[in-house]
Amino acid sequence: MSSRPAGRRARRLRPIPIAAATWLAVVGVLAVAAPGLAPEGPAAADAARALLPPGASSPLGTDFLGREIWVRLAWGARLTLAAGAAALALAVAVGLPVGLAAGGRGGWVDSVLMRIVDGFLAFPGLLLAMAVMAVLGTGMDSVAIAVGLTAAPAYARVARTIAREVRVQPYIDAARAIGCSPWRIAARHILPNAGPALVSFAGAQLGAILLMMGALNFLGLGAAPGSPEWGMMLADGRGYLRQAPWASVFPGLALTLTVLAANLLGDAWQ
Amino acid sequence: MAATYLFRRAVGAVFVLWLAATLAFLALKLTPGDPARALLAASGATSDEIAVRRAQLGLDDPLPVQYGRYLVELVRVDLGESWLHGRPVGQMIVEQLPSTVALAIAATAVAVVLGLLLGLPAALRQGTWVDTLTTSISVVCLSTPTYWSGLLAILVFSLYLPLFPSAGQGSPGHLVLPAGVLGFAMSGAIARVVRAQVVEVLRANYVVAARAKGLTPRRVLFVHVLRNALGPALAVTALQFGFMLSGAVVTESVFARSGLGKLVVQAIVWRDLPVVRGVMLVAALAFVLTSLAADLARGWLDPRLREGLQ
Amino acid sequence: MNTKNRTRYVAGLALTAALLVVSLAGCASRPSGQIRYGLTLAPSGIDPHVNASSELGIPLTSVYDTLVYLDPETSEFVPGLAESWSISYDGMEYAFSLREGVTFHDGTPFNAQAVKFNFDRITSPDLKSQKALFMLGPYDRTMVVDENTVLILLKQPYAPLLDSLSQVYLGMASPTAVQKWGADYQLHQVGTGPFVMEEYVPGDHLLLKPNPDYRWGPPVYKNRRAQAAEIEFRFFTDAATRSPALESGEADIMGEIPPQDAKRLESSSDFKIQVVPIPGVSLMFFLNTTRPPLDDVRVRQALLYGTDRKAVISTVFQDLSPLAYGPLAANTLGYDPAVQAFYPYDGEEAAALLAEVGWDDSDGDGILDKAGQKLALEAVLMGWGSMPEVAQLLESQWQALGIQLNSRVVSYPEALQIAQEGSYHLIPFNLSGSDPDILRKFFHSQASFNWSKINDAEMDGWLDEASRLTDRAQRVALYRQVQLRVMDEALVVPVRDYVNLNGVSNRVRDLRYDGQGWFPWLIDVGIASSGK
Repeated sequence: MSSRPAGRRARRLRPIPIAAATWLAVVGVLAVAAPGLAPEGPAAADAARALLPPGASSPLGTDFLGREIWVRLAWGARLTLAAGAAALALAVAVGLPVGLAAGGRGGWVDSVLMRIVDGFLAFPGLLLAMAVMAVLGTGMDSVAIAVGLTAAPAYARVARTIAREVRVQPYIDAARAIGCSPWRIAARHILPNAGPALVSFAGAQLGAILLMMGALNFLGLGAAPGSPEWGMMLADGRGYLRQAPWASVFPGLALTLTVLAANLLGDAWQ
Repeated sequence: MAATYLFRRAVGAVFVLWLAATLAFLALKLTPGDPARALLAASGATSDEIAVRRAQLGLDDPLPVQYGRYLVELVRVDLGESWLHGRPVGQMIVEQLPSTVALAIAATAVAVVLGLLLGLPAALRQGTWVDTLTTSISVVCLSTPTYWSGLLAILVFSLYLPLFPSAGQGSPGHLVLPAGVLGFAMSGAIARVVRAQVVEVLRANYVVAARAKGLTPRRVLFVHVLRNALGPALAVTALQFGFMLSGAVVTESVFARSGLGKLVVQAIVWRDLPVVRGVMLVAALAFVLTSLAADLARGWLDPRLREGLQ
Repeated sequence: MNTKNRTRYVAGLALTAALLVVSLAGCASRPSGQIRYGLTLAPSGIDPHVNASSELGIPLTSVYDTLVYLDPETSEFVPGLAESWSISYDGMEYAFSLREGVTFHDGTPFNAQAVKFNFDRITSPDLKSQKALFMLGPYDRTMVVDENTVLILLKQPYAPLLDSLSQVYLGMASPTAVQKWGADYQLHQVGTGPFVMEEYVPGDHLLLKPNPDYRWGPPVYKNRRAQAAEIEFRFFTDAATRSPALESGEADIMGEIPPQDAKRLESSSDFKIQVVPIPGVSLMFFLNTTRPPLDDVRVRQALLYGTDRKAVISTVFQDLSPLAYGPLAANTLGYDPAVQAFYPYDGEEAAALLAEVGWDDSDGDGILDKAGQKLALEAVLMGWGSMPEVAQLLESQWQALGIQLNSRVVSYPEALQIAQEGSYHLIPFNLSGSDPDILRKFFHSQASFNWSKINDAEMDGWLDEASRLTDRAQRVALYRQVQLRVMDEALVVPVRDYVNLNGVSNRVRDLRYDGQGWFPWLIDVGIASSGK
């Protein structure tokens, strides 16, 4: 039995994953290029240009303070992607060792660790993140940490499952027979073979992470007022939904497309 | 035997609950700063009064003592007192529960209906444009945040077309948009599971055998496929319950409904930690109970599971 | 689509149609003559002697009568439960001659003993009064002279006493009811006012019915009897629910409508926006004068010159709020219009002042710096009153000057803690009150809300003296000096005078508000003749 995941062989170049990857690339470029494209920054307001619709005078319209929506989207992309990456990194950093240890060792280590993970998983995701924020206080840092910690248990579970599958492979027994230590086995055999599946799951989680962070910011628990984070922009636009629907439609669209792209790529990778 | 299975599941559930309760207790104790003091100070209490109140709340006792008392109170369904309002947390939660439960039930109904509507045609016409279309819609459902689809729903169905109220509660009409939006979001995952299960079941041997026996396709669908697909669909609905509670929190905010969501958001802003902890425990309890119920339902629906359970 | 799915589809359509019909028919029929009033805050306690929320005063101002009333048009005090009064020469004794024949809703007679009972209650330490007690200032005790004469004795002269006595927090409650209900009194409040508290379910609704025996209204009331058959109060704590509730008929009167909704309702033919200015301290940012760089008055003045406050009013408040120029709102007693001359919007002047102090953009990053320090300011905000939106606009305007403004939103207890520690540059606040003594709460060196951290002995002297003088002209002269000093020293960035944007259905007539701005005189409110 091959130790490579089957999905690799089946992957072909199809339009949907390409479109998804393209969108993510666009967002990434915008995020990086924002200071150059829009040096005035996301706070630059102009009271005389408040509530302009998308059109000749403004590409995506302006909000109630006269700030350009496209400028805020670009700067918001930086925040959103950076925080999302940080949360994902935390989830992997916490969940991976726990999952590998549980799946790789088995026995009572597995039982204890998984029971603790189950304890966390009994709480709905957003509520768990909110509880962590109640402890840490509000702010963008807290949001990233909270979402990262909330995503970690699910990641631990997946890591454990994969590690368990790999553990029963013949070459693992061979390595153990030679006398390799558990850590060496984990590093040299389990991790490389489980790697692709773990990466794919991480990617799939990115969508959920972005949604959760957007929710926390929308509820006003995260970013500072005036922050161009996309969830925050949705909350800001809400008071002016009738006069300036574009102030909410575009940030939401950007977020949905990004999450969609992440989910589609995650599916395609499998 | 079903009884042993049920017993083991119940024991597991209790263990998970105990674990969750302990985590919640630790979280409260790990909080930096002294939110209780801050809240009491804000209401105008003097330092002496704060000290007295803290002693009353048992905040200065040694940790194991507090933990023991906490567990005993939990068993007696006493969730403590809100630091901000001074009222029992349990009472505050019970007051807000009906609104959230109404939303949850309505949204679940919408989600199951939509999930079946999307998943079944996809599985029955697997590989065709119907499959691609409905699967795409499912993925979009999964990816769209309720805090955006909610605003869009308000824009279209409340502001441009004055069909439904955009905020508040009180009449069934107030539930339409929030339940619709939340159900739409949940239906994606349900549709996926339905599709996968139905596809698998259609390939199963006994279905082929039934067809060979001469049963009409419609009967095959009803008797065998649906029954076996509904089980996992219910299971995933139960698992989705956690997501749905989270979704309810956001949806309540978008549509300005009062409920557990509003209660917990306010508690977080004001660092009213007993309320946060109380809502968390109620959510964990609900999740564990619904998982249990879903397992039982699945066992009942799937004859293979009913006998020979391991 | 096969038959099963089609059936489901039709069923779904039918369900939707049914829900539509039910929701459209959801506007329940109501008792005729009933007025529905929307409250915006659900305070946990509504006993006016105990709690501080102004929301409780909206219904309860008509359940209680007060000894005197403030006429908002003349700023004079008129008789209420007290027919006449006199103040001793040293300002420490107030003698009130009470109206006869007044009874509480439960039949208890109103007399001097009842007045003493009320003040004893308010000042008793067990009650833990959060506002009423403090409104009495240097209160000593009350003496009953005879059945209808009562004497209030102070330890020091206290000019704002009559103003305090005109507010619901010092309204007269029935001693019988207070003693009977004890800790539950707030659910069964009994006064002498034109309305009776019929029912109160906390967080849900409060019902007022007319007092059939009411005959002793003050001259400021237009009617002798309540015009409405009953008034039902419900809570709409979420701002997003307020204008929908008004437009759907769920409420006839709704307070605190968000500015952008008010703008839209203004042009509607079924509703009008009644803009009620609130006297007191305007919405303003207090500048922490002890924290660099704001310890230099020129930097503070630069902030004032560099703020286009008209833009704030037009964007955040949709031009529905008057601009504030000084610490007092324009309709407050003692307001000095001379403050309007201070700090017109002048970006160049601001830049010049900052350069004079030595701030320069030496590293070209757009933010001014001096001796290695960036000109970055921290603002601590609370979530209400549109403060976050105002802060965002200020952030943009000051960015143009090279000043970086970082703001964050915290809860009220946290804000108080931060204010005590002094770890902020700006903190916004506003407080309502009809007596200019309110300035003492903010600008006296010993004041609890001294958020500018000012220590000005001369101003302390003016504030203390003005609180003791009885002569109004003398007081006004002193408060004039205080206002000018505050603006000279640039202790605050005033933003706007607070106004309550009330949405009122055309079904309702004669809605009038008292001298505090928040509290309606419900006795006069009625159904317009063309209404249902």
